[in-house]
Amino acid sequence: MLIDFEKVVSIGASASSRRAFLFEPKDLVHFETAWEWQREWQKYLLEEAIASPAVWLLQHQNCYTLGRGASELNLLFNSKEPPHDLYRIDRGGEVTYHLPGQLVVYLVLDLRNYQLDLDWYLRQLEQVLIDVLEALGLQGEQIPGLTGLWLDGRKVAAIGIGCRRWVTQHGLALNVNCELKGFDQIIPCGLRGERIACLNQWIQGLTVDDVQPIMRKCLGNRFNLEWISEDFH
Amino acid sequence: MPALSSTMTEGKIVEWLKQPGEKVGRGESVLVVESDKADMDVESFQDGYLAAVLMPAGSIAPVGETIGLIVEKEEEIAEVQAKAPAPRDDSDRPSSPPSSSAEPSVKQEVKPEPQRNKSSEVAAPVAAKTNLTPQAAPRVVNDGRIVATPRAKKLASQIGVDLKTVLGTGPHGRIQAEDVQRANGQPITVPWIAEGDTPSSLISSRPSIDTPASKAFSSPKDLTGKSFGSPGETVPFNTLQQAVNRNMEASLAVPCFHVGYTISTDKFDNFYKQVKPNGVTMTALLAKAVGLTLARHPQVNAACNADSMLYPAEVNVAVAVAMEDGGLITPVLKNADSTDLFSLSSQWADLVKRSRSKQLQPDEYSTGTFTLSNLGMFGVDRFDAILPPGTGAILAVAASQANVVASQDGSISIKRQMQVNLTADHRVIYGADGASFLKDLANLIETNPENLGS
Repeated sequence: MLIDFEKVVSIGASASSRRAFLFEPKDLVHFETAWEWQREWQKYLLEEAIASPAVWLLQHQNCYTLGRGASELNLLFNSKEPPHDLYRIDRGGEVTYHLPGQLVVYLVLDLRNYQLDLDWYLRQLEQVLIDVLEALGLQGEQIPGLTGLWLDGRKVAAIGIGCRRWVTQHGLALNVNCELKGFDQIIPCGLRGERIACLNQWIQGLTVDDVQPIMRKCLGNRFNLEWISEDFH
Repeated sequence: MPALSSTMTEGKIVEWLKQPGEKVGRGESVLVVESDKADMDVESFQDGYLAAVLMPAGSIAPVGETIGLIVEKEEEIAEVQAKAPAPRDDSDRPSSPPSSSAEPSVKQEVKPEPQRNKSSEVAAPVAAKTNLTPQAAPRVVNDGRIVATPRAKKLASQIGVDLKTVLGTGPHGRIQAEDVQRANGQPITVPWIAEGDTPSSLISSRPSIDTPASKAFSSPKDLTGKSFGSPGETVPFNTLQQAVNRNMEASLAVPCFHVGYTISTDKFDNFYKQVKPNGVTMTALLAKAVGLTLARHPQVNAACNADSMLYPAEVNVAVAVAMEDGGLITPVLKNADSTDLFSLSSQWADLVKRSRSKQLQPDEYSTGTFTLSNLGMFGVDRFDAILPPGTGAILAVAASQANVVASQDGSISIKRQMQVNLTADHRVIYGADGASFLKDLANLIETNPENLGS
């Protein structure tokens, strides 16, 4: 059951929900571009130039990203000649891989409006993923001690965030209908032997277009956000 | 160390964005702390100067620990740094807790302590100082508030030690369980490592070895009845134990089988005696033998995922080492096939030393393509090992013992023999692969051990 955004925006939400900008670029986005967007928005929030959080739902061109403390030894290729663009970025966690067919969600939220607790935030992101999978009739699993989301013992989503004065950036990446080949080139999240999977292995023919509206809704519910998204629907 | 979440007990310093002596503005990021998959830029609340970094990048500090000092005025930098060597008592003022200068203290602070459940023992600068001369300060009277860990309090009441007389070596002078033991005249257990450098075949004749790392080993007779808790107690797993547990559980999903071989070691033992004076260790020798054999058996060096068999570019032999405070770690001898014995030996000594102080980089313990587990020093005649995830096989090496052996020509002789037992992921390594690997390994050890030196 999909949500009608125009309606939601025009109805106005309950007093407790927060208006948030939602950006859903139709084309593939360059990693650096999306990163720049987030940093800019983070700056707005930090400078209190703007009060509303922002969320991006998008897909990237093929690229690898490393967390700030990540080990290059989880790259199974020469980091000087990566098969795709490689970025070291300001989030936690080890290496991950982005590519078309993977729904990436970036959230620039001020956690002072929620809980000053990064662990809480990571678990909420996992809950969003569980909600999305549940809407698809799948039962996602958390593994205590390992951030991310698993389905039947295989990892379908990765999470990594960065934070400045409790304003977040980066977020999560859910494999929907992507090629799994490029994951062989890395040790994803530094977990050896971890099996990576895509949702379309459970639901044939599933695409990001199917999942994106569900993600939108689940994010809104979980973080109590009311979307300002006039551009896109 | 700021708390990034309600459940966080410690955090890792990923990076110092400012160097000692550098000016920091209010709201400017000074360092990056990581907890799980989340990074947080930690900012200064005031204008000033970063005077000292007490915990270097890469270290893990308990929440609330002083990790660096910021002063208001530039002149105070030198003052803080100069005062640093002498532990001070006025630790209440946040801008001037007891501190030592960044350079030397950094190395002393990182003690081989457990990572989580005793994380507070990752020493504060004071601890580093006092630990150096524990005997020099036998009786110290604490007046006023006594700060002790729950374990220390419990232990003190159990063995009847007055905490007022105990010198605390934890952060800000907090009393640790080991301080109580020390005050009671009990010897502090030296960290030991159960597996590693001990010659598997020569334990009876040469109980001690002379590498620098060997000081970490106590002799096997001291190892009776090791336990992490007292009777009746419930002891939570530490981080490392949890990590090992996860790995062990993950390997339950792998269809493993075992294949064993008895290898005669007389020639091998003789060769070891020849090269030992040059600093060659048994671990290096075994790793080299396994490495050379693996290079000829890439299938046994391979691993797999759901869709494919993965053939690593290198032969990296990991060797399991039990940690004194629980859990085990697998330092990696990289390119064991092509690295010479002497380099392998010194690399191993360095790896063991740094595993004890928890200073290994992830690539130094997570890049093994094959694992070696040696319990020979305990005299066990056979055992099998659990497969570490992400690899295809692990070899369990037992002690070498004298056996009466009947040869094919009917003659009877006494030979030293050791049993090795391969645990392998059947998806990638089949029985014949394992068997032919073992046959080749046995052939190398039994007939051509001198090839290991070339």
